Amino acid sequence: MSRVKRFFRTYTPFTRSGMQELIAYRANFICFFLGEIISAFIMYFVWKAVFLSSDSDTFMGFTMEDMTVYLFIVFLTGYMTYSDGAFAVGEEIIDGSIAIRMIRPCSFEMCFLFKEIGNRIISIALIFVPMVLGVEVYRYAVTGEVRFNLMYFGFYIVSTVIAYMISFYFNVIYGFMAFFFKNLWGTSLIKETVVGFLSGGTIPLAFLPAGLATVLNFLPFASLAYTPVMIYMGMYSIGEIFGYMALQVFWLLVMMGLSKLVWHSAVKHLSIQGG
Amino acid sequence: MKRYFRLHRIFVVQYLKRLMEYKVDFLLGAIGLVIAQAIQILFIGIIFSQIPKLQGWSFEEILFIYGFSLIPKSVDHLFFDNLWMVGYRIIRKGEFDKYLTRPINSLYHVLVENFCVDAFGEMLTCILLLGYAIPRLSLPFHWYTIPLLLVVVVFATMIYTALKIMTSAISFWTKQSGHITHMLYMTNDFSKYPVSIYNKAVQAIITYVIPFAFTAYFPASYFLTDSDPLFCIGGTVIAGTVLMTIALFVWHRGVNAYESAGS
Amino acid sequence: MENMIYVENLRKEFKKIIKEPGFKGSVKALFKPNKEIVKAVDGISFNVPKGEILGFIGPNGAGKSTVIKMLTGILMPTSGKCVINGQIPQENRKNYVKEIGVVFGQRTQLWWDLALRETYSVLKEIYDVPDEKYKQRMEFLNEVLELESFITSPVRTLSLGQRMRADIAASLLHSPKVLFLDEPTIGLDVVVKENIRNAIKKINEEEGTTVILTTHDLSDIELLCNRIVMIDKGKKVFDGEIAALKRNFGNVRTFAFELVNAADFGKLDYRMQYRLSDDDITVERDKNSVTIKFNADKVNIEDIIAYTLSKVHITDMQVKDVDIEDIIKRLYLKGVDV
Repeated sequence: MSRVKRFFRTYTPFTRSGMQELIAYRANFICFFLGEIISAFIMYFVWKAVFLSSDSDTFMGFTMEDMTVYLFIVFLTGYMTYSDGAFAVGEEIIDGSIAIRMIRPCSFEMCFLFKEIGNRIISIALIFVPMVLGVEVYRYAVTGEVRFNLMYFGFYIVSTVIAYMISFYFNVIYGFMAFFFKNLWGTSLIKETVVGFLSGGTIPLAFLPAGLATVLNFLPFASLAYTPVMIYMGMYSIGEIFGYMALQVFWLLVMMGLSKLVWHSAVKHLSIQGG
Repeated sequence: MKRYFRLHRIFVVQYLKRLMEYKVDFLLGAIGLVIAQAIQILFIGIIFSQIPKLQGWSFEEILFIYGFSLIPKSVDHLFFDNLWMVGYRIIRKGEFDKYLTRPINSLYHVLVENFCVDAFGEMLTCILLLGYAIPRLSLPFHWYTIPLLLVVVVFATMIYTALKIMTSAISFWTKQSGHITHMLYMTNDFSKYPVSIYNKAVQAIITYVIPFAFTAYFPASYFLTDSDPLFCIGGTVIAGTVLMTIALFVWHRGVNAYESAGS
Repeated sequence: MENMIYVENLRKEFKKIIKEPGFKGSVKALFKPNKEIVKAVDGISFNVPKGEILGFIGPNGAGKSTVIKMLTGILMPTSGKCVINGQIPQENRKNYVKEIGVVFGQRTQLWWDLALRETYSVLKEIYDVPDEKYKQRMEFLNEVLELESFITSPVRTLSLGQRMRADIAASLLHSPKVLFLDEPTIGLDVVVKENIRNAIKKINEEEGTTVILTTHDLSDIELLCNRIVMIDKGKKVFDGEIAALKRNFGNVRTFAFELVNAADFGKLDYRMQYRLSDDDITVERDKNSVTIKFNADKVNIEDIIAYTLSKVHITDMQVKDVDIEDIIKRLYLKGVDV
């Protein structure tokens, strides 16, 4: 018990500083968000045009309402689970300040994690809640009935939290790649586009050729956004939900293991290079 | 003027030397941009696998507009990328001091100091798209088509660059404005598709407020259909000129308000 | 002599947002930012004759850099006037900066990724230096600042001392009439400092360049400047020769000696003997060595020595003249009212 308490006493200051940071840079944060969400609106208009140009009410099994919910919730999920750990780690590796981290009595990634959690708490209030409300109001306006399902929403939250943790460890691993690529800009552009696509950010994975879609469903990327979104939309049965969430947990454990491995080899690398 | 051209050449040469030192990074950046565009085009492909036309536009026409949108975007990206640094770092860290102690125009100095060859990723995609679409479309061609295209590219690029100058100049007052540039810059994505798919409010914004529609859809639709040149081409010229005038004015005012950093 | 720099009643105000500390503070700043006007430079006037090296000193945050930035045309003054080399810096900036050189010690003006030689060739174009002149100039700067050994290295690989020499050379490439040096010796070791001081001196002597120098290192001032302007909280508190500073701000002299018997120290009480306040005398003791710093206007050096010799036995003694470092330290600590 006291260990747990001490753990939280060590790391909650990071959460607080994460919250403060976001409030201090709120204008930057909101502008950045607005810039990002534009792509979801463009997609919305493109799909609207697609449905208007099509004879049928559905496109590969999706109605326009499904498509809209998908677009905005996948954007929101991707946004909430996005982790900056890669740059934080990468920059410290490049400028050598990571050496200081190793002599501090707290865990390297836990500091980032708790700071990001602080960021997330503010994002939930400023972005998550308004957007979910917006989507549900839209659904109500279009269909005339309340489509919000508390159970699915609950599973969605759990699944999104796991997705965030996967994303966090994935990005920590990626950040350590800074040992090999001196500059992170080019590779992270590639990473973000590819991950965005493979996790269903551009198109629902179901729209891809059947074989490809099945493979992608089992890769860790689907766990990052596609799985929670499909749960939110009620596309999965209870059995499927548990199955996919088990898969998420599996990938989380893999990422955690890998990040430990990379951390140890990085420490070795540092002591050879001398930081 | 001649001196400025000579300076430009010297900065390009210096940049190329630096480029050789970091070639892997630049290559990866360019590849990243190609992949990003390729995924968007895959998306368009999937749509057209299910419907023959998107609000009256064929697959080739949509690709033409999309490819066209990448011309001014990549030109601006290649030559004037350093403006991002103004809004994100240069002013906040007081690095702008240096530009003010040099006997050349500060805006010109910032612009020529850096280039971004990552933009070749966008240029490559652009060439591939137009190379695919143009032979499959029967575009009207006159003796003045090519000169007109050059005029459009110049003024459409000015729209991009002017918006970046204007928004990065805000940091002269606020210390940092990269996020504002980001927000406005992202609206350029609207221009990749025909404006008719958007609702009235969005159409009005991208035509009259942040006139990115003039960087791609309007001129591209003129080159596709030969109709309404006055609005489509004239609009681009006017939008580019007006925005650039405002941008230069804002920049000039900003330089006078510059507060540097530290004590 | 004609004035190269003429500054009259120069002012600069900044708006500053005051944020209270902590989480509550950030929330409060969100709704009601607290604005305050800070007078960074509050009516400063001075002149610098052609060919002079002027030391510009003051504590941190006194407004030194702000003044330098106004004189170099970087900042717009809120009010007041400065004319340098017959021009107003902000009026025709591009033309004005052709004749000045600027070095900010904290920040390089060189291109990080370029070899040093390339940096100079770019600057040659920017300042439009003719080929022949450039060649001569590089030879001269090479000789004075010893650039030879690292001129082909990229700027990012230079040591701090090398970088500073390179930066000073860059600011002199176009033979400016006025040179502004903001902390040119910051963070450098003694040998490099010496090297840089000699270079500044040489350039000043050979080319008659007017130099304004801000520094925290008072040996820079004593070795280079004949005159200093001191500012504090945006106001000028002293302007004159170093000798005058010594005269005006307390004639502090130092008397140091070694006691034969350390226990004798208790016999000495200068404060009681001469009725001196703590401001006028300080006594420091380290085992057998004693150092006394006192205001020579209040008490005579002969009296102090006579009193000491009458009370204790000493083996060695030393009398030092006014130490500028001490004067300034005292002024900084006390805060100056003029």
